Amino acid sequence: MRVLIFGAGEVGTHLAKMLCNANHDVILMDEDEEKLQQIEAHYDLMTIVGSGTSIGNLKEANVRSSDLFIAVPPFQDMSILSSILAKKMGAKKTVSRINNNEYLAPDNKEYFFQLGIDELIYPEELATEEIVASLKQVGTRQLFEFSDGKLVLFALKIRDNAPICNKTLAEVSTMHEKQNYNTVAIMRDGETIIPRGNERFQHNDLAYIITTHDAIPQVLEDAGKVQFEVKNVMILGGSLIGVKVAKLLESDYNVKLIEINKERATKLADILEETLVISGDGRNLELLKDEGIKKMDAFIAVTGNSEVNILACQLAKKLGVKKTVAEVENIDYIDLAENIGIGTLINKKLIAASHIYRLTLRSNVAHVKCLTAVDAEVLEFVAKENSKIIGKPLRKLGLPKDVNIGGIIRGDEAIIANGDTVIQPDDKVVVFALPSGISKIEKMFA
Amino acid sequence: MLNGRFILYVLGLLLIIEGFFMLLSGGVAYIYGEYDLLYHLTSAAISIVLGGTISFLTKGVEKHIGKREGYIIVSSVWVVFSMFGLMPFWLSGAIPSFTDAFFETMSGFTTTGSSILTDIESLPHGLLFWRSIIQWLGGMGIIVLSLAILPILGVGGMQLFVAEVPGPTPDKLHPRITETAKRLWVIYLGFTVAEVVLLLFGGMSIFDAVCHSFTTMATGGYSTKQASIAFYDSAYIQYVIILFMFIAGANFTLSYHAFHGRFKKVIQNEEFRYYLGFVLGISVVIGTVLYFTESNLGIERSFRDALFQVVSIITTTGYATADYLLWVPFLSLLVFVLMFFGGSAGSTGGGIKIVRVVLLLKNSYYELKRLIHPNAVIPVRFNNRAVSQSIITNVLAFVVFYIFIFGAGTIIMSIMGFDMVTSLGAVATSLGNIGPGLGEVGPSENFAAIPDFGKWFLSFLMLLGRLELFTVLLLFAPAFWKE
Repeated sequence: MRVLIFGAGEVGTHLAKMLCNANHDVILMDEDEEKLQQIEAHYDLMTIVGSGTSIGNLKEANVRSSDLFIAVPPFQDMSILSSILAKKMGAKKTVSRINNNEYLAPDNKEYFFQLGIDELIYPEELATEEIVASLKQVGTRQLFEFSDGKLVLFALKIRDNAPICNKTLAEVSTMHEKQNYNTVAIMRDGETIIPRGNERFQHNDLAYIITTHDAIPQVLEDAGKVQFEVKNVMILGGSLIGVKVAKLLESDYNVKLIEINKERATKLADILEETLVISGDGRNLELLKDEGIKKMDAFIAVTGNSEVNILACQLAKKLGVKKTVAEVENIDYIDLAENIGIGTLINKKLIAASHIYRLTLRSNVAHVKCLTAVDAEVLEFVAKENSKIIGKPLRKLGLPKDVNIGGIIRGDEAIIANGDTVIQPDDKVVVFALPSGISKIEKMFA
Repeated sequence: MLNGRFILYVLGLLLIIEGFFMLLSGGVAYIYGEYDLLYHLTSAAISIVLGGTISFLTKGVEKHIGKREGYIIVSSVWVVFSMFGLMPFWLSGAIPSFTDAFFETMSGFTTTGSSILTDIESLPHGLLFWRSIIQWLGGMGIIVLSLAILPILGVGGMQLFVAEVPGPTPDKLHPRITETAKRLWVIYLGFTVAEVVLLLFGGMSIFDAVCHSFTTMATGGYSTKQASIAFYDSAYIQYVIILFMFIAGANFTLSYHAFHGRFKKVIQNEEFRYYLGFVLGISVVIGTVLYFTESNLGIERSFRDALFQVVSIITTTGYATADYLLWVPFLSLLVFVLMFFGGSAGSTGGGIKIVRVVLLLKNSYYELKRLIHPNAVIPVRFNNRAVSQSIITNVLAFVVFYIFIFGAGTIIMSIMGFDMVTSLGAVATSLGNIGPGLGEVGPSENFAAIPDFGKWFLSFLMLLGRLELFTVLLLFAPAFWKE
């Protein structure tokens, strides 16, 4: 597939790398020549110095023959304009990144569709959804639901106190009568492992587990996670994400939001009726203590500064907050933050990138979820009549080493996959894949 | 950490490819039933078996090419190819000296075309064919060919591509480097076939037509005749060769655009305009002077000789239809200056390259303006775009290196006892990958009389020139090897 990306910011760059690794023809366009040179030196793609809002530059990039046009420049107006132009000039599909909630309303989306924008991406919205989901299930690092929550994937930190620590996967599966969860990946010392039966859980492992909705309590128990209910939430930073999260949570939880800028705080207090907006510096320990950080069940740091978010979460953990969420926009920090035990990490660029990435896959992929801490994706495929994957037990299919089939949704029933599972047509299959495995598994569903 | 195993793996694979081309020239030897068949097959067997063993032993290694691996692979592959490519000449005894065989092969791969052979026609057809095909391979580039046919090099291929393709900033024809390489080779092959057909119309034998097409498109200059193109006293053949030398000396990206009907892009390309301008302008000057100084030539012949020599030298092909050393000194000197121009970026030609010459002249001219207006921002414009300062610096460094190596090389040659003109000519022609030089190594002479050390030295200069200095020089920089 030929993909033209306008904007070599973090989302654009990350997407370009992902698409290159998946063997797509990628053209990256930006006005900053230096940025492009750096990427071009390391990835097999073409770069064009220019703007997506210039018809001449679009022509030069041969937009006519591109299958997908992705507009992720720094400004929304540029993004929308360039997508409209690209579509008129022959791009088959266009995606624009926006930052206005209004546009996402189903009625309004139609306007954009008529203008020629097929898909709108609002990274802050996606990040908010993820934060709220992770609060619903404490004890987990990241949580995704498939098919209205019939299957759930989450990331759990395994500690010494977990009953499954130091046991192999095979031993764990005999702990219960019925195998009702499946470990699809383990992240250990910065490396992603696709585990087999003889893999042993170790202290500090981050385990990615797929399970059915009913079995969640059991998984948490096995992982030694104590259940508690979130009542009090503190949000640090009145950024777009912060406000959105507060807005979503304020009716059911006690929410406090700390914003450093007085004017902004005043404005937020107006928007957020039920949230207690505090104007102050979140790095000030006295302030946090005064606002009762010790009584908080969850602490969400979403200031524009990744370092502040990481440190604030670290502090909150020390003061006894059980659940912390940090927005880490600097991709290089993610590994580090994961290792020092920050809790849930949010990176809106990675989230947006994997959302867009779905569009480059064949139509039988229903969802792609980005896993923040590991360089891997979770995909939901729909098996077809003539897919190679159906009709045989999984152990006999010769699946690639870099993918792992987690579970299947058949009609209303959710099934946890094991070696004997046979996939049938129309099954929705949740697959965990390393970047190198995505195209391989995609072929098996073709 | 340097990924040494992967370097070996790639070299092994490339050696197998070279082996297959040896089989091809073995096929020619078989058709003509000459004695050299056995030696082609032996060389092919050695290359394929050794290459296969090396790549088999190192397979499964992590496929990662960094900047350093890229430069090492590109530099070493040219040396390795010459070391193995000399086998047919050396084993068969056609060139008994190892040094001579290496010189001839390196001169072939780098598309220089300087020869130590004193009687080319005595060589069997298979060896003549091998001599031509190594130029053809070297013309578009060994690495570019491998990128086109070995998908494994796609990872990090850009590193390799940049290190081999001439010009300050290589163009891509397709987002993916392997596809770009494929397109370049298809155009290259297409032009070669077209030239063969046109030469056949001119009455050349099929064997000579193929060999000459190989060496024209590569801007190599090896001929199957001792007298080079002067052997063919046909205006038609000479014009056909002029046309294809000219095409080979232009940027292949432009040919690609022309094939897609985008002629405007070709005409508007600034480098192409200068290239065309230099060729026509200097040919007219030389042709006019020739017409008045060489009374027996006539007007058509004067201008044809001028055009042929100018295109041959500026594209760094090195064919000859006349001995420019016999012209009046003004003209010989003009030809000598042309040796430094070289073809366009992205062509198969060598030399400094038109784009660099033009950029430098422009920059120097603007420097005058900058002196008058110290605060003015005056960028160098090329193709209607401001050229970034880093490219100008790079070009400056290149030309400084080029002139320095040229000067130092000339002195080294003169230490070996050659007169000034010969030393200047031999170094300029080797560094520029042209072929004929001046004085004792002029168009009607050859390089046989150079001592062994001189031949190794000139071979090294050819490699430097073909890989545009930096790729090879980097390996000698301490910074390159520091962790």
